[in-house]
Amino acid sequence: MGPLVPQEIIGQDWNMLIAFIIGIGFGFALEQAGFSSSRKLAGLFYGYDTVVLKVFFTAAVTAMLGLLYFSLFGWIDLNLVYVNPTFIWSAIGGGVIMGAGFIIGGFCPGTSVCAAAIGKIDAMIFLAGVVIGIFVFGEGYPLWKEFYNSGNLGNPKISEILGVSGGVMALLVIIAAGIMFWIGEWAEKKFTREEY
Amino acid sequence: MKTKYMNPYLAGLMLGLVLLMAFFFSGRGLGASGAFKNLLVASEHIVAAEHVETNGYFGKYVADGKNPLNSWLSFEILGVLVGGFISGALSGRLKIKVEHFPKITANKRLTMALIGGVLFGFGSQLGRGCTSGSALTGMAVLSLGGFITMAAIFGTAFGLAYTFRKNWI
Amino acid sequence: MNARILTLAVTLLLGVVIAMVPENTTKRYKLTASDMITEVRDGSEIISPEDLAHWIITKDPSIQIIDVRSPDEFATYHLTNAFNIPIADILNDDYVDILDQGVKMNVFYSNGTMYSHQAWMVLRQLGYENNYVLQGGLNYWFESILSPKAPSIYSSDEEIAKYDFKKGASEYFGGGGAEIQATAPATNTNKPVIKRKKAKKAPAGGC
Repeated sequence: MGPLVPQEIIGQDWNMLIAFIIGIGFGFALEQAGFSSSRKLAGLFYGYDTVVLKVFFTAAVTAMLGLLYFSLFGWIDLNLVYVNPTFIWSAIGGGVIMGAGFIIGGFCPGTSVCAAAIGKIDAMIFLAGVVIGIFVFGEGYPLWKEFYNSGNLGNPKISEILGVSGGVMALLVIIAAGIMFWIGEWAEKKFTREEY
Repeated sequence: MKTKYMNPYLAGLMLGLVLLMAFFFSGRGLGASGAFKNLLVASEHIVAAEHVETNGYFGKYVADGKNPLNSWLSFEILGVLVGGFISGALSGRLKIKVEHFPKITANKRLTMALIGGVLFGFGSQLGRGCTSGSALTGMAVLSLGGFITMAAIFGTAFGLAYTFRKNWI
Repeated sequence: MNARILTLAVTLLLGVVIAMVPENTTKRYKLTASDMITEVRDGSEIISPEDLAHWIITKDPSIQIIDVRSPDEFATYHLTNAFNIPIADILNDDYVDILDQGVKMNVFYSNGTMYSHQAWMVLRQLGYENNYVLQGGLNYWFESILSPKAPSIYSSDEEIAKYDFKKGASEYFGGGGAEIQATAPATNTNKPVIKRKKAKKAPAGGC
């Protein structure tokens, strides 16, 4: 059955409308979670507010379980679902730079859109920065082209690398998430800060 | 104060279901930075068409007269703006302001936001996706790259937290 | 507090269940049983030996001839340019690109038509297009192409032309080296239209 658009059960023309509707859901969920506040986002790294951890891992676990069950019931063909490619060195390099951007800027691109939508000027400035960053990357591309394309492993799944089934991997992630939630709630009590 | 946001687990469930629907309908996950790349490429293309077309990285987005703005991510981000606005309106959070820690000035916060944005924009291209596109979506499909990017982002942010503590606590 | 523990318990349970069940790797049938019956009754999957012979002689590049017999039998005798995919391996992932491409038409044959039809049915149900079966298999091929019976003097011109073609083909496949007139009687108009496959897009995405 699914995914509907790649299988042409729903026409390609509808894909953009679907994208827009899914975007509304995405923005709504982020904003309701409090991701429109850099204060809440940065809270994770000081332990006073671990909402990022909770939302992020709950969402990942939900979607992961959903995909596995959909596949089990034959509702979705996982071969037609995009799996991000792994370029190991640029994934780590990019992740490190993004991590620095996260703690300095207090947003990530998705959350900053949400925050900009409700009038946060800092988020709009952050977004301007994002565009500048992409511009720098594109204009200086020859300088880091080699690094960008290094360590290409194809599109592996972590379960394949570890040699377990997708289901076992999901169970491991659920257990890891449960432990992290427990630590997070403990940290929130320990490092409470007043809101502003 | 805390109660005005949704329960984080509930919000996470909602976000996860949205992501699942993206997979079910379009066979792909969420994203954010890509939409800004499209916006940048499209506007740069208006100013300096030839320059963009010959650029090794941006060129492929305008090849064969393609309009980069006519993409899944661009429409999705438009939706995010609308969805965020609706949520903010329903919860009474619509307000033009610079949110910052009281011990730093608004200007410092904005400078930091700009620097952080530049880093994030650059890193998202190098890492082939940001927190939503690579880490969250990647984790949901159990992509190895997704887990690596996620660990690198959060690991670095934790590692640098002490250095930048004055901005936040 | 209770709600959270309950949620965690349910999630863990879901995780345990998904970890225990085998992954769904079955290939899904795209055609229903009644679709298949319609196609089989229609007989549109049959290719006559004359047509096939003509395509082989004219070196038609859009034909793939697939021998579904065992490698031993294949080694003993096979049609010109045929390649061997034993029926047992027909679902092997290595052959997907050959069998499901939408550029060439596949003609299956075996000694009779049982194995070739079995291969055709399985692949057709998976939704593969452009698959055909050689009428009567190799047995009929020998009979009609390699040792054609001369038509009676009362036969129509068309049948005589057909016989001439078969005789030429027979010499061609017999390796007699005789010059053949590959001007078969209008057989090439029977060629089925190759159904173009919708460009299979690799799932796209990413930031």
